[in-house]
Amino acid sequence: MKITRFDKLFGGRNGVLLGLAVAFILILALVPLFASGFWMRTLTMIFLLAAMAEGWNYIGGYTGYAAFGNVAFFGVGAYGTALAMLRLHFPFFLAMVVGVLAAMAFAVIIGLPVLRLKGHYFAIATVALATAMGELADFWTSFTGGAAGLTLPFFNPLKWSNQFFYYISLLLVVFGLWLTYFLMNRKLGYSWVAVRENEDAARMMGINTTWSKVTAFALSAMMAGAAGAIYGYWSTFVLAEEVFKIDYTLQMILATVLGGPGTIFGPFIGSFIYYILITLLVFFFHVGEFHETILGTIIILVMVFTPQGIMDFLSGKKKLTISSLLENIRMHRV
Amino acid sequence: MEREVILEAQKVTKHFGGLAAVQDVDMKIYRGEILGLIGPNGAGKTTFVNVITGMLPITSGKVYFKGKDITGWSAYRIGRIGIARTFQIVKPFRGMTVRENVAVGAMFGHKGKERSTKDALRKADEVLDFVEMSHLRTKHADELTLPYLKRLELAKALAMEPELLFLDEVMAGLNPKEIESAMELVRRINERGVTLLVIEHVMKAIAGVTERVFVLNFGMELAQGTPEEVLNHPDVIKAYLGEKFVERQKRKQQLRSNG
Amino acid sequence: MNYEIGQGVVNALLLTGTLTLVAIGFSIVWGILNIINIAHGAFIMLGAYVTYWLFTLYGVDPFLSIPISMALMFILGYVIQRYLINLVIRAPLLVTFLLTFALEIVIINLATVFWKGDFRSVTTSYSGAGFAIGHVQVPYVRLAAFVISLLITGLLHVFMTYTRQGNAIRATGMDVDAARLQGVKIAHTYALTFALGAALAGAAGSLISVSFPISPTMGGEYTLRAFVICVLGGLGSIPGVLAGALVFAFIEVFSGVYAPGLKEAIALFVMVLVLIVRPSGIAGKAFYH
Repeated sequence: MKITRFDKLFGGRNGVLLGLAVAFILILALVPLFASGFWMRTLTMIFLLAAMAEGWNYIGGYTGYAAFGNVAFFGVGAYGTALAMLRLHFPFFLAMVVGVLAAMAFAVIIGLPVLRLKGHYFAIATVALATAMGELADFWTSFTGGAAGLTLPFFNPLKWSNQFFYYISLLLVVFGLWLTYFLMNRKLGYSWVAVRENEDAARMMGINTTWSKVTAFALSAMMAGAAGAIYGYWSTFVLAEEVFKIDYTLQMILATVLGGPGTIFGPFIGSFIYYILITLLVFFFHVGEFHETILGTIIILVMVFTPQGIMDFLSGKKKLTISSLLENIRMHRV
Repeated sequence: MEREVILEAQKVTKHFGGLAAVQDVDMKIYRGEILGLIGPNGAGKTTFVNVITGMLPITSGKVYFKGKDITGWSAYRIGRIGIARTFQIVKPFRGMTVRENVAVGAMFGHKGKERSTKDALRKADEVLDFVEMSHLRTKHADELTLPYLKRLELAKALAMEPELLFLDEVMAGLNPKEIESAMELVRRINERGVTLLVIEHVMKAIAGVTERVFVLNFGMELAQGTPEEVLNHPDVIKAYLGEKFVERQKRKQQLRSNG
Repeated sequence: MNYEIGQGVVNALLLTGTLTLVAIGFSIVWGILNIINIAHGAFIMLGAYVTYWLFTLYGVDPFLSIPISMALMFILGYVIQRYLINLVIRAPLLVTFLLTFALEIVIINLATVFWKGDFRSVTTSYSGAGFAIGHVQVPYVRLAAFVISLLITGLLHVFMTYTRQGNAIRATGMDVDAARLQGVKIAHTYALTFALGAALAGAAGSLISVSFPISPTMGGEYTLRAFVICVLGGLGSIPGVLAGALVFAFIEVFSGVYAPGLKEAIALFVMVLVLIVRPSGIAGKAFYH
């Protein structure tokens, strides 16, 4: 499968697309000056999704280990931050560090045994992981406030709340973009792609594949954990069934896959596409109840026609024709 | 004259469940030589190499590299101390360009530690020059034809700057002209100071390139010696062509000497 | 205290039957098609609802509805594999994984919208009845579920070993290309295998509906259990699945006593433990490189 060429930025039309992306980000930075709270909040949600997707991209896109439970790190980040703020009385940023470190530690502990598993088995082990985390959180009531959750104080001063969360989320996303660019030019990034393309060859060539995979996993946890920390503080309460929703895993995967796994801007672009798509469908076609059916159908269609996301079309590698859409089927049918 | 032993295998044994794929094999590889490893299909040649290079866990026995015990070392550690190998079924990194493929070897192999990714890419250019694939530098690995894929496999191993290189059937699937240039390449690699163990079925290559040959059958050593000695050894011929063939040859000889 | 242990043992033994049935369909799809069917739970759920509706609307005895739910799931499974999954079956794992993941979501969502998310149960006149061995209760329905599960599993074994189609399936699982050369119609065989898996899931769902309440989201935990059982018992052998189911049943029943509400976490823990200690499971193929 011609998934994810090991391209630095966009592959083909580097300059133009990079310029567009930078311009877009600058515009985003200026949005709070003229937009309403509603838009800021919506964009913040998109940013948090993008951050999680960027993280997932490390383990799922670049390394090729489809993790299906990254929402577990989101939840750990949220809970860790909340607990640090409530029990240890840490200020937000310090608490966020706690939450993120907790998520990363968790990723390392779980990753070491579970990353030895081949593709499939790893994937489902991570599904189990997320579900188990949700259960544990519900169970450990003294620690986590159980089914009622934890309540956090509002951001102070309240009138700047929207802006604050908007900007730190945007910062997180931009940090993620930079981090991806940075890593893909270093040995670690190369090791990820080597592991994905041929793990045996990677081992034989001197790559400590366990280390490589665990770092990818831990970094994905870092991004998800940070997103969770921000989300927790933003919504002011942290509830197990909210922060361990399997929906979020699906969204971050879909966003990455839509935009282009194993590319720098893929998750970022994919998150926007995803949100636009869902919004169109939910608001204009009133498919509220069937929201998940739509989500599922989109995933199915993407998997059948364009699993490498739209990045190939954007960068000019493929033309958007019926034929190129059918190519995937031609390559992978029975 | 004492030649330095670069790799020594002592009673190397590998069992898969009840099946002994490799049984008590003793082998010495001398620095600077090109050692051939032959044997009928299923003799255990690739398994032997897999065990030596850490791809498969060893059942019993010992392996020494430059005097150091490397028995049971994981594959990546072995890759870092100066041993490299190619795979029979090529394992390219399809999503990467040829240059990046080779650079990975330079990044993580023997002298990789001190190299930055930039240096590794430059080293890759050098290696690609050596194997005469520079014109394909920017192509993605999935665009290559088989002979070039095999050459890429070799380049990746060379980029690791190994002292000992295992080649697993690099000539398979090549036409006579390609075999000639592959043989030439192997000689050039050896001239640069790399010790080689070459697993082959193509006897012309064995005869033309190796100084010494080791024969494996049913996981055990069958014979050892120069290519001429080994290729004319009755047991070896029997192993490849069967007992009946040897009998028929004998009878033909007798008829000729009689009539 | 003895009685509790005795009850626990009996419960675990009876549970083994159902768990085997739950896992075996999952196991053949995984072993032959190399697909981890996340939608397995959805078929279990649908099978349960078929039984529920037949019982509630037409008074069909739940045990008699099993062939019907199996047949319906078989057809559904066949169509899904033949005309959807077969399109991308040779794609990398992520693609098929996400595909079955998405299928699960779609099916569950549709079920929730049309049937509402409330719990329902199938309660027959004999639902509560049973007999006792000493102080240990043996409900009739669970015993019947146990027997029927083993019966179906046995029939599957006979099918796979002695029929032409069954052998074609096994051959396809071992070496697709060789099977194709032998004249096996791969697309159809794949679809047949998946359909079988779905049918078995449906049967399991029907049996579950008699003893436990059902809801549209009931399937997920069974998929997880199927996975852990396959890890425990190794892929590719029916006795392996049985063994795995047995071990898992005991773990589940006895941990349910000491730590209820942590079922998934325990399943995960068991699985990770097995994978660290013995990557090939209790019997069978290795799961890692």
